[in-house]
Amino acid sequence: MALLTKKRATEQEDTYRVPQSLAAKIFGYVSLTIIVLVTLFPIYWMLRTALSNNRTLFEDALSLLPHNFTWGGFERVFGIATEEEALAEGGSGASVNFLQAFANSTIMSTVISISQVFFSAAAAYAFSILRWKGRDGVFFIFLIALTVPGIFLTLPNFLLIRDLGLLNTMAGIMLPSLLMAPFAVFFLRQFFLGTNLSIIEAAVIDGANHFKIFRSIVAPMAMPQIITVFVLQFIFYWNDYLWPFYIANGDPAATPLTVALGVFKSQTPQGSPDWGGLMAGALVAAVPMILLMVFFGKKIVGSIQASGVK
Amino acid sequence: MANATVKSAKRRSDFLTAVPFMLPALIGLTVFVIAPGIRGIYLAFTSYDVFTEPVFIGVDNFVRMFQDEYFWNALWVTLEYVLINIAFQTVIAVFIAVLLHRFTRSSLVRGIILVPYLISNVIVALVWYWLLDYNLGLVNTVIDFLNLPKITFFDDVTSMPTIALINVWRHMGYTALLVFAGLQAIPDDVYAAAAVDGASEWRTFRSITLPLLRPVLSFVLVITITGSFQIFDTIAVTTNGGPGMATKTFSIWIADKAWGAFEFGYASAISVFLMVMLSLIALLQTKLLRANQSDLDR
Amino acid sequence: MKFLKTSAAILTAAAVVVGMGSVAQAAPKASGTITYGLWDANQKPGYVKCAAAFKKASGVTVNIEQIGWDDYWTKVNAGFVSGKGYDVFTSHLAFFPEFAAKKQILPLDSYIKRDKVVVDATYQPGLAALWRDPSKIQYGLPKDFDTIGLFYNKKLADAAGVNLSNLNWNPTNGGTYEKAIAALTVDKNGKRGNEAGFDPKNVATYGLWLSGSGGGNGQTEWSFLAAANGWKVNDGPWNANYHYDSKKLSDTLKWWQGLIAKGYMPSLAQSKGISGQDQLAAGKAAILSEGSWNTGSIFGKKNATFTPALAATPVGPTGKRASMYNGLADNIYKGTKNPEAAWQWVKFMGSAACQNIIAGEATVFPAIPAATAKAVKTFNSKGINVDALYVHIKNKTTFLFPIANKKSQVDDIIGPVMDNIMGGKVVNDQIDEQLAIANSKIKRLFG
Repeated sequence: MALLTKKRATEQEDTYRVPQSLAAKIFGYVSLTIIVLVTLFPIYWMLRTALSNNRTLFEDALSLLPHNFTWGGFERVFGIATEEEALAEGGSGASVNFLQAFANSTIMSTVISISQVFFSAAAAYAFSILRWKGRDGVFFIFLIALTVPGIFLTLPNFLLIRDLGLLNTMAGIMLPSLLMAPFAVFFLRQFFLGTNLSIIEAAVIDGANHFKIFRSIVAPMAMPQIITVFVLQFIFYWNDYLWPFYIANGDPAATPLTVALGVFKSQTPQGSPDWGGLMAGALVAAVPMILLMVFFGKKIVGSIQASGVK
Repeated sequence: MANATVKSAKRRSDFLTAVPFMLPALIGLTVFVIAPGIRGIYLAFTSYDVFTEPVFIGVDNFVRMFQDEYFWNALWVTLEYVLINIAFQTVIAVFIAVLLHRFTRSSLVRGIILVPYLISNVIVALVWYWLLDYNLGLVNTVIDFLNLPKITFFDDVTSMPTIALINVWRHMGYTALLVFAGLQAIPDDVYAAAAVDGASEWRTFRSITLPLLRPVLSFVLVITITGSFQIFDTIAVTTNGGPGMATKTFSIWIADKAWGAFEFGYASAISVFLMVMLSLIALLQTKLLRANQSDLDR
Repeated sequence: MKFLKTSAAILTAAAVVVGMGSVAQAAPKASGTITYGLWDANQKPGYVKCAAAFKKASGVTVNIEQIGWDDYWTKVNAGFVSGKGYDVFTSHLAFFPEFAAKKQILPLDSYIKRDKVVVDATYQPGLAALWRDPSKIQYGLPKDFDTIGLFYNKKLADAAGVNLSNLNWNPTNGGTYEKAIAALTVDKNGKRGNEAGFDPKNVATYGLWLSGSGGGNGQTEWSFLAAANGWKVNDGPWNANYHYDSKKLSDTLKWWQGLIAKGYMPSLAQSKGISGQDQLAAGKAAILSEGSWNTGSIFGKKNATFTPALAATPVGPTGKRASMYNGLADNIYKGTKNPEAAWQWVKFMGSAACQNIIAGEATVFPAIPAATAKAVKTFNSKGINVDALYVHIKNKTTFLFPIANKKSQVDDIIGPVMDNIMGGKVVNDQIDEQLAIANSKIKRLFG
């Protein structure tokens, strides 16, 4: 009987999921195909450019295949091309300390996103599950923080990091992001609000304190959202440019990958960039995030379904 | 906690419990956002070049701002950007999310639509700058091949929409996934009922999906609109404010004033204006769309 | 509090002045390590060699850091703010007045006097004066200079039967310069710009590329024409008497703008995107007016369909050619911990010892005449004939980069006007009107 019910539920779901009419089906699949193509074509263009010889790239600017195929772009990214080889293919000759920059990026993005999501989740808990006077007012300050122009905070925070003696260090780059991100607090609070309060009330009656409830009920239930924020923030910090550029101040020990790959941008006024190296760098830099997505993919998109069951 | 049972009937205050939960985040907020923010507000009333001490000049910066043609220009072009960006991004994202929800379970497809977000926005801007080039861009080559008139994507009228759409490309998958998460929370039985009633696809979408998506959508809108107002990178690597002042948005203008002309006082005043405007918009949104509450709280 | 800080600053300043006075007699020995910043990767190998020679001579180690143009200035500015900037950095005339006005760079006069450095006579005429502020304080020793030339695709010129070696130009009919541009323009059907039936709306190869409106300087874009028409931006370095309202300028701009309607040059909107050098390499343009600093990268793009070559800018109504003349020098950051070593490095880069090394790299033209000549030879030996760039020095047809106070405010006013002109939003008499309005706004800036 139970089996039967379950089966029917799936059937029901499926009858909704894929529309019955042929026209709707064609429309849907054609649209999906177009979206995937529009999404992937520029990425393909990057790959094609990354595998072209930068020096003769514009001999055949519209070629759909790599022009004068070469691994040179990728070799320059990994810093294994000599200066002569780089210059011969139209690179700048500037070098990338790939492994170190990669390690720095990995460390910083991981530490920031874990720490930030943890503390943001705790704060979100205080703004959703717990009830106290002035709660919404304090939360509103976080909402306001979302509206502060980033460009407005860069200078004072830069001076603060300098005064703390943390210029040229990864600690200086990470510090302002470790304790919270308004986005993460906002996002998690939104989902915590959907938690079934009766479960919590029951746990309170059972004598559980809020640390325990947070750890063993609310956080696990919201795990898909927590992982989603983690991944989104990881991507954000992985791609961050201006702030680490300021703080790393040219020191290889603190320079993340995005900043290190800046050597492929144009060197002179009205110059043109090393397209091959630039595109190869962008693709290589995206790989760890793609792996992250593959690893957490199911959980991210599973998201609210889990809490929606409640 | 022992007598929680007794108290639970009454509204109790969890304030003391809340403090340790939110303290780290509050410290982070105070030190790295509020304190510099307040300092910025103070600087907005000064003349300050970073190298010498700020000099208090009252509301002069604001008076100057409201008389500055660059201000009214920034207000207009930034709004233009936000409107185009948000309108297209939201509609397309909802469309993609519904497609994902209805037509495929492939996590590969879900992964693919997020790929543009993985590429840094500077690179995204450069790639599209090339693809949309009038002479060497593939898009115009295709247009030309179809015997249609080629398009100048970066003139004083088209620049802002072009840049807004480039960012739609980068963010549509990301936004779609947020919306998709919202769609998954809508129980299937609601749809089953609609199907039994013989409601059309469009009607089902309009009268069931959309209303139930509202809390997620309003949340997404608060996030994307505040982000959209701060558009910087894409413009900085393509038109850099031009042609003329056609793409000189608030952030580009603020950066110009602060780092190009060392007018940090004036730049702070513009920032304060932007911040106040955004806060009002966010407040209005949360009130209008009741983003604060979740309709899934049934 | 503020008073304390200010008086402390005054005391420190006084101490510095006194300190300098006391060492003014003998040059002390420098030592230690300093940092040096530059933006052009192509020039780095040359300066690495200079630094090695300098280390041998003085014992000072120079750590060289190179970052591309845009990020470079962000970094220099951040360095001023943080107090941890480069000790010495390559500077540019577009930025140095602001740095000097904000007192972020060290005046060199006391060092120059102490070490008896001959400034003006050492370098190509006029270069050293560019690095003085209005009160004649010297902030840099010239290390190189640049001029403007016409980079073109010889393959296309040969196919069109056009010789670009001695062009003339006037704002009325464009002279042989316009004739050449017309002949080099080819439409989609293969008709040339000077042939009947040419379709200006569907151009496959533009005779001349447009790199942008050029803002208030027009360094590589229009200044060589306006100056050949007898125009100058103001009455000399730091002078506030601007001439943007001159008919000589508006006539030049009208002619230049006219090329767009004729189909010989892309419109501003059509030229946004891929850079001019890449358009040239791709055969989308036949001529690109560009600065000598990009010589290496343009010649490096030689491919099956692109044979790079150089022609001199045209002779104008003045009877002469003209080229803007801009040069780089190094500034010393005021906050350097080691000013003595920084100065000696600046002095070394300004000397024949280093400039001869740079001359052997074929990247730029060094500022000392003998080294310039050597660099010309090096370029020629690499198959790059740079006579077209050097001719301006030989014939003294250069004019100075407009160096001025309140540069960013001036740019805010004149920049959009230039964009509007080249964007075709302002035409005919409106051009004169708009330029006159902008000019009076600029004059009002200086009261």
